[in-house]
Amino acid sequence: MSQASINEIRPGMKVEINNEPYIVVINNFVKPGKGQAFNRIKLKNIITGRVVEKTYKSGEKLDLADIEEKQLRLLYTEKDGAVFMDDKTFEQTTVAFSSIKENKNWLLDDTLYETIFYKGEIIDILPPTFMEIKIVETDPGMRGDTASGRVMKPATLSTGAIIQVPIFIKEGETIKVDTRTGEYVSRT
Amino acid sequence: MTSLTDILQKRAYMLTLTRSFFEKKNIMEVDCPSILSYPNLDDNIEIFKLQTTPKRYLHSSPEHAMKRLLSEGVSSIYQLSHVYRKGEIGPYHNPEFTLVEWYRKNVTFSFFLNETLDFIRLFVGDINFTKMSYREIFFCHTNIDYATSNIEKLKKILQEKSIDYASNDKLDKDGYLNLIFSHIIEPAMPKDQLVVIYDFPASQAALSQIKEKGDEMVAERFEIFFQNIELANGYHELTDPKEQRKRFESSIAKKEDNLSIDEKLLQALEKGLGDCFGVAMGFDRLLMLHLNKKTIHEVIPFSWENI
Repeated sequence: MSQASINEIRPGMKVEINNEPYIVVINNFVKPGKGQAFNRIKLKNIITGRVVEKTYKSGEKLDLADIEEKQLRLLYTEKDGAVFMDDKTFEQTTVAFSSIKENKNWLLDDTLYETIFYKGEIIDILPPTFMEIKIVETDPGMRGDTASGRVMKPATLSTGAIIQVPIFIKEGETIKVDTRTGEYVSRT
Repeated sequence: MTSLTDILQKRAYMLTLTRSFFEKKNIMEVDCPSILSYPNLDDNIEIFKLQTTPKRYLHSSPEHAMKRLLSEGVSSIYQLSHVYRKGEIGPYHNPEFTLVEWYRKNVTFSFFLNETLDFIRLFVGDINFTKMSYREIFFCHTNIDYATSNIEKLKKILQEKSIDYASNDKLDKDGYLNLIFSHIIEPAMPKDQLVVIYDFPASQAALSQIKEKGDEMVAERFEIFFQNIELANGYHELTDPKEQRKRFESSIAKKEDNLSIDEKLLQALEKGLGDCFGVAMGFDRLLMLHLNKKTIHEVIPFSWENI
């Protein structure tokens, strides 16, 4: 496994500690006067999202995590998982919904996703920032509700996400959504 | 946004102000070489080795050479020099930085401390100071007496403050003291005053004298902080050549490289240094505070990542 000295670790690098992958958020060099030098680092666990702080002796080596990022196309979803394909190698990978948590609600066939592999398995996916998705269910808008500006109502998308849309949007329409916030952007 | 020209002008002005501060006090400027035959031996500083035969090193401070001058009879000297410390990179660290170091003979601790504070005020303005011994400030923030506490007790303090020391390498007591000092005490220091810490643990004496203080042996050293940033390291200088040799030997034993003792410095101490105080200050940090910058890299013409 490749290693890097803690002094060379920069924010954004991925390291492995106790068999878990972390992304480095901050690396601070701390040295009291004539004393021992330390590196105080803030890390985010890539799998659980938990942020931790650890202190190491300066100069100590850390293991770099075996993390790979690939752009993959979603072929189809199954009962408990999604099947992606690499456009270059045609290699297929199945990922369990439990690994991608809330991003499960942004799965649309034939769409390219940034996927994060750890030790050969997908541990997270990143949907495109903006997606165009069809509304499969929403109540018809009530007349007269528009007086106070933008009145919103819930709508269920074909991917399973439930978001707030303006009252004039109808079932069956395709809308543009910001997947980072789950907010309605516009009609398509 | 401050432009590069602006920073260079301010830097030049503060260098001039530094020189005139010492000139007014009749402290002579010296410019000792930055390449040494015998390296500085500090347990916690890694030096740059040059690829030369015979072996030569970049100085991590002009201390050895300046002390040799002091033994030749000069009494008050300062040096403004670039110094080199391997691996020290961070918001307040650059492996090459500018140090202001000066020595005074036959002065008292309070005279020397006040002079140092006055120098800092050139950069940070007319700010008051508060003074605490290492033992006092340690107790103040941890509720334990460092002198009588064992490693287990120090570890418990770290646990209580959720500080996770994750290296496999075990620390000795001083290691834990340093960890607590840098992670708990420094961040909690008052920000609106200059903070002077004095009388350090004897085990952290470096090149300062050790004296008895009640039930404790202390190193006659002081450090000055402002806005949680360490600015100065002052010593009542060790003048005993036998004790100096012992400390050099113990430092060498801790280092991996095959380093040798500066016999020329020991000869100078044999000849006699006289009672003397010395202090080293980071010029770039002072300038950073003067210009309200967040890192020293913003006040150095080309910092480490950009040379």
